[in-house]
Amino acid sequence: MNKPVASRWAQQFPQLGTDPVPVDALLSAEYFQREKEKLFKRTWLKLARVEELPQSGSWKLKPLPIWDSSIILVRGEDGQIRGFHNTCSHRGNRVIWAEDGHGKDRRFSCHFHGWTYNLKGELVHVPQEEEFFDSFCKPDNGLAPVAVEVWEGFIFAHLDPQPAVSLKDYLGEAATRLEGFPYGQMTAVYAYRTVLNCNWKIAQDAFSEAYHVTTIHAGSFPEGFSAKLYEVQLFGPHRTSAVYMDDKGPTPTPVAALSHRLGTTSIAKRGTRVALPPGVNPTRSPNFAFELSVMFPNFLVHIMDGLYFTHQFHPLSVDQTLWEGIQYFPPPQNAGERFSQEYGQVLQRNAWLEDTATMEATHAALKSGAKKVMHLQDQEVLLRHHYQAVDEYVNS
Amino acid sequence: MSSDLLPASYRHLEPWVDRWALASQAERETTRRASTGAQLKAFYDALVGEGDGIVAHLNALPLDQLPAPEQRLLYLMLSLAEVAPHVELYRGDPRVPFSFEEERFIAEHGAAPGFNGDLYALPNRPA
Repeated sequence: MNKPVASRWAQQFPQLGTDPVPVDALLSAEYFQREKEKLFKRTWLKLARVEELPQSGSWKLKPLPIWDSSIILVRGEDGQIRGFHNTCSHRGNRVIWAEDGHGKDRRFSCHFHGWTYNLKGELVHVPQEEEFFDSFCKPDNGLAPVAVEVWEGFIFAHLDPQPAVSLKDYLGEAATRLEGFPYGQMTAVYAYRTVLNCNWKIAQDAFSEAYHVTTIHAGSFPEGFSAKLYEVQLFGPHRTSAVYMDDKGPTPTPVAALSHRLGTTSIAKRGTRVALPPGVNPTRSPNFAFELSVMFPNFLVHIMDGLYFTHQFHPLSVDQTLWEGIQYFPPPQNAGERFSQEYGQVLQRNAWLEDTATMEATHAALKSGAKKVMHLQDQEVLLRHHYQAVDEYVNS
Repeated sequence: MSSDLLPASYRHLEPWVDRWALASQAERETTRRASTGAQLKAFYDALVGEGDGIVAHLNALPLDQLPAPEQRLLYLMLSLAEVAPHVELYRGDPRVPFSFEEERFIAEHGAAPGFNGDLYALPNRPA
């Protein structure tokens, strides 16, 4: 069965309108400040996978400039994962000395005066405790927590330790429709990152439409992908769509064909071998490439046949973004599968190098003030929805 | 040259070992960028017809216990994966055309020798 028929999204989602989108949201420091306070500090953000914290005492320190903080994620002796600000309760020094990283410890001990915390964040040792005063109460001075919840192995955190909305309710159907995919079995991980000198939305926009594929990916994916999106659905601020291959795909190059014969490889390989959730590629078309799901505000999950990949866009300032692109495969069982993965993920890396090529120049050019708006076409519906969703938080 | 760099049936590929039997993706990338299109094509041509046979040979052995000659043969295949898009898709350009600065793209697994996907086991992995 071939791919479904493309819709006219503007008719399906009239609430998004069809007007040009002002570029001020990409450039204004004042708008960015409101994104920080009213959006990022008030939503759930993905920080890690559970596989990153395999044992009791495993921790990861994640710098989050958008929260003005760095968050320690740690697995306790009870197996539960908790999150804390990396700030000593004494005089505020970092408890974990590094700026980022990971490790395994039984205790966290501040290098300033030796205050020590257990894996639950409780303050368990204060040198010269008897010198403190009655106003100091040890049990009240654990590490400051953030809320942590896990969906399908993805660890999310919320700056408010008791958020009004649970992660499950926040993600809603955007998450439930992606449940059941074997994320936990795809533990062969290839991760790339870079700091981009552009607004986070410019970076994220490039991964939110297929219109660009025939031009920017003329090198790595010269033919094969449809430039339209399919099965677009909006779930509150979250959104999803599907990317399909054209009916007549390219003849794979010799090494691509070898890679496809040997295993789970690239997004350009056709055919379904893993059970996708029923709402994803509902007709089980062999032309299905991948699902493009956006968990608002900044986390993209792409599931497909035999692998998945994610993008995340961490705003560092109004004009700087940390991008993380991660590919997840089943662990290779033999050299052929290892080769197949290497080819698939190298080609994907190269496509990401093509995706990121325009971002800094776009931001720099827009700063000139020469253009006040951008014109989005019907197939850029996910961008239109994104700008509207951000705007609703920022103006709330 | 030592006579056991590669398994006996692949000795004819030994001239490629020095430049392309590289243990980490970062080394394979760096070497690819430092090569000319003609060098990439010559290596590609030497390997591409052998792919199925090499994989059949290697698949008979456990991936994590390959003897040194077989491990080198796998590294040659991983270099083929690195080089192939430049020969097959980018007209011999040793860099990705119209792309972001590759040197600024950090692969968290990039420097790990013999990396088979176990990212979280790597020391000094950033957050």
